[in-house]
Amino acid sequence: MTQLILFNVANGLIIGAFYALMAIGLSLIMSLSDVINFAHGGFLTVGAYLAYTLAPYVGFWGGLVLAPIFTAIIGLIVEKFLISRVYGRDPLYSLLLTFGLAFMFEDGSRFIWGAQSVPYQVPGWLMQPLSLNYFFLTGYRMFMVALVAIAVGGLFWIMSKTRLGLRIRAGTLDLETVSVLGVNVRILRNLNFGIGIYLAGLAGVLAAGQLGLQPTIGGSVLMPSFVAIIIGGLGSLTGTLLGGLLIGVASGMTAVFWPPASEAVIYVMMALVLLVRPQGLLGEEGRF
Amino acid sequence: MSFLKVENVSRHFGNLVAVDGVSMTVEPGECRAVIGPNGAGKTTFFNLITGMLGLTTGRVLLEDKDLAGIDPTHRVKLGMARTFQITEIFPELTVSENIRIPVETAAGLSMKARMSASQRSGVRQRIDQLLEEGGLSRIAHRYAGELSHGDQRATEIMMALALNPRLLLLDEPTAGMGDDETHAVARLIKRIHRESRMTIVLIEHDMRVVFNLADKITVLAEGRPLAEGTPAEITANAKVQAAYLGGAA
Amino acid sequence: MKFDLRQNALNIVIWVLLITMPAWMNAIGGYTQLGTQVVIMGLAAMALNFLLGHTGVLSFGHAAYFGLGAYGVGMTIRYLDASTPLGLLVGVLAGAVAAALIGPLIVRRRGVYFAMVTIAFGQVFYFIAVRWNTVTGGDDGLTNWHRQNIDLGLFKINIMDSAIHFYYFALVIFALAVGLMASILHSPFGRTLIAIRENERRTRFIGINVNFHIWMSWLVSCTFMALAGALFALQNNFVDPHSLYWTQSGIFVIMCVLGGMRSFWGPLVGAAIYVVLQDYLSSLVSDYWQFFIGLVFVAVVLFFPRGVMGMLRRRAVE
Repeated sequence: MTQLILFNVANGLIIGAFYALMAIGLSLIMSLSDVINFAHGGFLTVGAYLAYTLAPYVGFWGGLVLAPIFTAIIGLIVEKFLISRVYGRDPLYSLLLTFGLAFMFEDGSRFIWGAQSVPYQVPGWLMQPLSLNYFFLTGYRMFMVALVAIAVGGLFWIMSKTRLGLRIRAGTLDLETVSVLGVNVRILRNLNFGIGIYLAGLAGVLAAGQLGLQPTIGGSVLMPSFVAIIIGGLGSLTGTLLGGLLIGVASGMTAVFWPPASEAVIYVMMALVLLVRPQGLLGEEGRF
Repeated sequence: MSFLKVENVSRHFGNLVAVDGVSMTVEPGECRAVIGPNGAGKTTFFNLITGMLGLTTGRVLLEDKDLAGIDPTHRVKLGMARTFQITEIFPELTVSENIRIPVETAAGLSMKARMSASQRSGVRQRIDQLLEEGGLSRIAHRYAGELSHGDQRATEIMMALALNPRLLLLDEPTAGMGDDETHAVARLIKRIHRESRMTIVLIEHDMRVVFNLADKITVLAEGRPLAEGTPAEITANAKVQAAYLGGAA
Repeated sequence: MKFDLRQNALNIVIWVLLITMPAWMNAIGGYTQLGTQVVIMGLAAMALNFLLGHTGVLSFGHAAYFGLGAYGVGMTIRYLDASTPLGLLVGVLAGAVAAALIGPLIVRRRGVYFAMVTIAFGQVFYFIAVRWNTVTGGDDGLTNWHRQNIDLGLFKINIMDSAIHFYYFALVIFALAVGLMASILHSPFGRTLIAIRENERRTRFIGINVNFHIWMSWLVSCTFMALAGALFALQNNFVDPHSLYWTQSGIFVIMCVLGGMRSFWGPLVGAAIYVVLQDYLSSLVSDYWQFFIGLVFVAVVLFFPRGVMGMLRRRAVE
């Protein structure tokens, strides 16, 4: 029993790490551009399949490096030519635009890579269990958690130490002032979007190794990412990270005791948070 | 009994002190002007009175009733109505519809899905009366969003009056207007004040309007009270002159 | 009360088209069931637009209430009592109760945040439908039930076998629901909703409890949504979890925008276009029709943001 619980907690942490990677990117974009990127899951799918397509040429490690970068480049292009055109209009339109893109990404992936799930090869030594007692602690899982930690750490560093990060944060609080101070808001939003999509692409590559590849992979993590943001508090990256891990673990634990509720439980948590602390665990009151 | 009593109110935004220890007592039927250079905290002061912002320190009393914890919506029910520096109306509705909404709300109908014939005609009469008083009858069926600045302001003031307020708060009623419009709006406010003896507090930058309307004047500078008195006293006040000249220089 | 000729002319045209639809639908290459689907989806879109277009609140999670209505009617007929009216009632109540409970949790949110919370909440019902498979049929949907004829004493409405009878049954319910929504919108309550859409701050400073009014509008909207969902299930004699998946919520929103959110009839027009387009696309490019629906979303946003009725109105003004 202990093993089963540990197994599910570990599993939950890993799933939670995906949610957190997705949610942090979504939250960055939402805070600076007032856009809910429904296509975020689509970008995850694209990242995953790109890694799969690139693997025969550049290997697993090459794919891990290149796929998120290519995904981010697609993101920059989509933002520049489509999403940036609806800034300043009723937020409804940006939601519909990204919603349409989500449909296109999913069916587009199905068209290019097929509807059937395809296997994605991870180096064999990474798949070995680290311990016989705890068979589920494979090297790949530890590796994923480490990589997510590095990515999130890197993002926090960018946000607190670099000029770009400071401008993004300032823009989140008061876009008008930032633009008056001479920052090019268009470029700022473009780069910020790219960062968010990079994280989605990275989540895609990692998910491909863990969950297998199919066109719906992105859509299925999108809603939990929303929940992570709502629970953590919009505008707080730490909160979002926490929210992602929390719902991952909660979902994993519920799978032990009452499997049918393992997906629904996170929405119940969201309801409780909205009831007790509407701004989210680490969110500020009155911002949204 | 004073009508509106503001006691030592302050509001901090982080390290910034926007309003710092301001007190003001307004008598029933008085028209009070709040003036001061840009950044004096006038609008913040207004927002503290209407409950749009919370107080850091101090109290606001309406007829000796402490308004702490009462949100803006309920302050309206206690008889406070306000207008905003940037006119807040319903741009895609006609002037008549703009007035209708507060009229129906004041009549307690805002949750009703049906009106009786007498309610219907009562509302109609009240709308016509307000349109007439505000000089808006000729433009009653035009969309509020396409009116001139002055007409939009008059619409907003009549919307506030439709609530049957006992205290009318006007934030820069003539902001951004030319001479003719300024004059028309000032005349409207003066007529309202004279005919109803309603208590009015207004923020105003145009000194001609202030001296034309106000019984008493409160001067703020950098969030603090600088002076208070009749128009004549304020004109003669050296500190006020310094603040304004300082602000201009 | 001034008589607006154009508005009334539009009403007459729409009702005449709806009432005569079975007579001309086949002639233009359609079929009666397609017309029924337009009416039902039109009701759903108009119900959503009560909140989206008339109250100005960005709701993206309405598929949940549509699905609750659908499962409500299906489960009632299958497990409780083979009665169409009872099923409809249970379906509508299920949607209304869920909306009433969720409302207070969300009405303080605005804009994109409201959209995110509503769409996320909708997922709860999706997972219940998928996981509680012994009762709901899970992924395969709820089968083995059939809408029942309605016995009015004097005569019987044969909605079980006759597509035309069912069309008129749906149309009567549509008419009642739409009439009720129109009368609410023309009441003082409805005007405060429009006031909220136009200027929330001003509305608050008129002394209106904005959050409470949004809650009420949400409740009305979700209740009619559940009614539409119940009719949808009755039409298909089947419900599956897709009807309450989050992507379906987006489809209802695009119907509103496609037709014109500012217009009372706009969402019906949008629903008609969408239903016909989907029918055509799914026969043309069976597997990838969603891609083209996505393209429609993008095209509407970029080139057609005011919708059909918005464009017509603008042309009429010019």
